Amino acid sequence: MTRSPETTQNLGARLRASWLDLALGALGAGLPVFLWWIGSHTTTFVPPIGEVIRAIPDFVTGEDIWPDVLVTIERVAGSLAIALILGFAAAYVMHRGGLWGRVVDRYVGLMLGVPSTIAALLALYVFKRSEVGVYFVVSIITFPFVALTLLQGLRSADRRLDEMGDVYRLSTPQRLRHVAVPHLVPYTFAAVRNEYAHAWKVVVLAELFAVNSGMGARFARAFDRFRIVDAMLWLIIFMIILLGTEYLLLLPSERRVLRWRGSGMEGNR
Amino acid sequence: MTHSGEYIRVRDLDVSYDGITPAVSALSMDVAEGEFAAVLGPSGCGKSTLLHAISGVVQPQSGTIEIAGLPVGAGRGDDSVPIGYVFQEHRLLPWRTVAQNIAIVLRAAGVADDDVDPRIDHYLEMLHISKFRNTWPLRLSGGQRQRVSIARALAIQPAVVLMDEPFSTLDEVTARVMRQQLADLWQRSNQTIVFVTHSIREALFLAGRIFILTQGPARLFDTIEVSVPRPRRYEDPRLTELEAQIVEHVMDEWGYGANSGEEPRE
Ligand SMILES: Nc1ncnc2c1ncn2[C@@H]1O[C@H](COP(=O)(O)OP(=O)(O)OP(=O)(O)O)[C@@H](O)[C@H]1O
Ligand SMILES: [Mg+2]
Repeated sequence: MTRSPETTQNLGARLRASWLDLALGALGAGLPVFLWWIGSHTTTFVPPIGEVIRAIPDFVTGEDIWPDVLVTIERVAGSLAIALILGFAAAYVMHRGGLWGRVVDRYVGLMLGVPSTIAALLALYVFKRSEVGVYFVVSIITFPFVALTLLQGLRSADRRLDEMGDVYRLSTPQRLRHVAVPHLVPYTFAAVRNEYAHAWKVVVLAELFAVNSGMGARFARAFDRFRIVDAMLWLIIFMIILLGTEYLLLLPSERRVLRWRGSGMEGNR
Repeated sequence: MTHSGEYIRVRDLDVSYDGITPAVSALSMDVAEGEFAAVLGPSGCGKSTLLHAISGVVQPQSGTIEIAGLPVGAGRGDDSVPIGYVFQEHRLLPWRTVAQNIAIVLRAAGVADDDVDPRIDHYLEMLHISKFRNTWPLRLSGGQRQRVSIARALAIQPAVVLMDEPFSTLDEVTARVMRQQLADLWQRSNQTIVFVTHSIREALFLAGRIFILTQGPARLFDTIEVSVPRPRRYEDPRLTELEAQIVEHVMDEWGYGANSGEEPRE
């Protein structure tokens, strides 16, 4: 790594930018809290903020919440992985064109138009209350979006780099490793980041209605028993995990893998 | 058998990108083995297209191109002649560092693992870009990228080097140093170089022969032997004189003639 002197000079500017970020973030997070506060004062079914906060320590340490959290995370990660594989296959077939390309293209287009919730409920009805059903529902709902993003990646491949590969006679493994895959990495990240939150929502929805384990099922149970504080806690945990993984895991690893793009402050084209 | 005078043999070459507009039309030329050939032509006439065709990345509509008696193009076998190509745009892999970009083509060319690093070092040094060894291409200037691309082409020590205005993005002083180094390198090797340039002076300084093309679609207009002995000096008055003659010579053909009201084709 060469470290240019500008990098240190830019640090100040970047710090200021990150403060602004933080302030805006706090404002964004504060708004729902404020609405919650109003809600708890004007209605009877919204529990006061203080009560929920006081319940947090017991909730995260005492109860057996973690197995259900893990089950949900497992479902999200698993079905997202399946969606990636399906999405890549679909994108590849669409990119190749031909009869199958058109068939898949129509299918993906159709699926994009179907509301996720309705598709989820129908599919769960078909698959009854099974684990397979959850995986099926989530991957089938998210993969068309993945396919579309990856297709964009395949279509934007730089033919000029392929020609360079021709001239220098790169082997097929070399082309995959050094030309094709690195080009698709940003698109894969974009697909995962876009569909990550989507997958969470569909998994929890499926758990709400169709299975007895996972965060969604626990939320439903708490809700059915009028344990609104617990329901709120599950909602908060859901958001913390979703946002936490996005900002602490996905974004940093994306930034690291794509660091070749430059810092944006160094006059890149 | 190939005659050594026809090491790179181009016959009746027609190239069109869209199948309608010709970019190169009925162009024939021969480059001898070990020759330094320059290609001169007005902007947009089809010089890059000619190199694309010679390298095989663009398929001609008609006509043939052979290097050492073997046809070029898709499916170029392992027995075909290795080519180093400095594209007009650098065509580096943006997600690989400078050293990795070169290492990849070295490995593809079958250079032994132990030799890869020393080779990279040698050519980076030659092009005065050693300190960018571990930098990503997007963090380099245009001229730095171009030199990485030159290092990549030369590092595989190919029999044929195609260069498309390789020094056009460099400042004049650096360009002169690079030209001198290229001339020296070529004299020590038996490489065949086809060098596209806008600069008549550059062509005269480097080449043994200059192929002058017409306005687009490119045909061969004339071939000029440069008999000034080597080593040459860039400021040599003989080059100045030849330069003036060539300008005079191409003026009409390139659409700037006294009687020609036509705009030159872009
Ligand atoms: N990829 C392409 N697709 C379609 N047309 C192209 C393409 N590349 C070049 N052309 C056309 O072919 C003709 C020749 O282009 P070429 O790049 O070979 O010119 P050139 O002599 O190298 O020009 P310059 O000196 O400006 O680099 C031009 O008219 C150009 O518009
Ligand atoms: Mg060109």
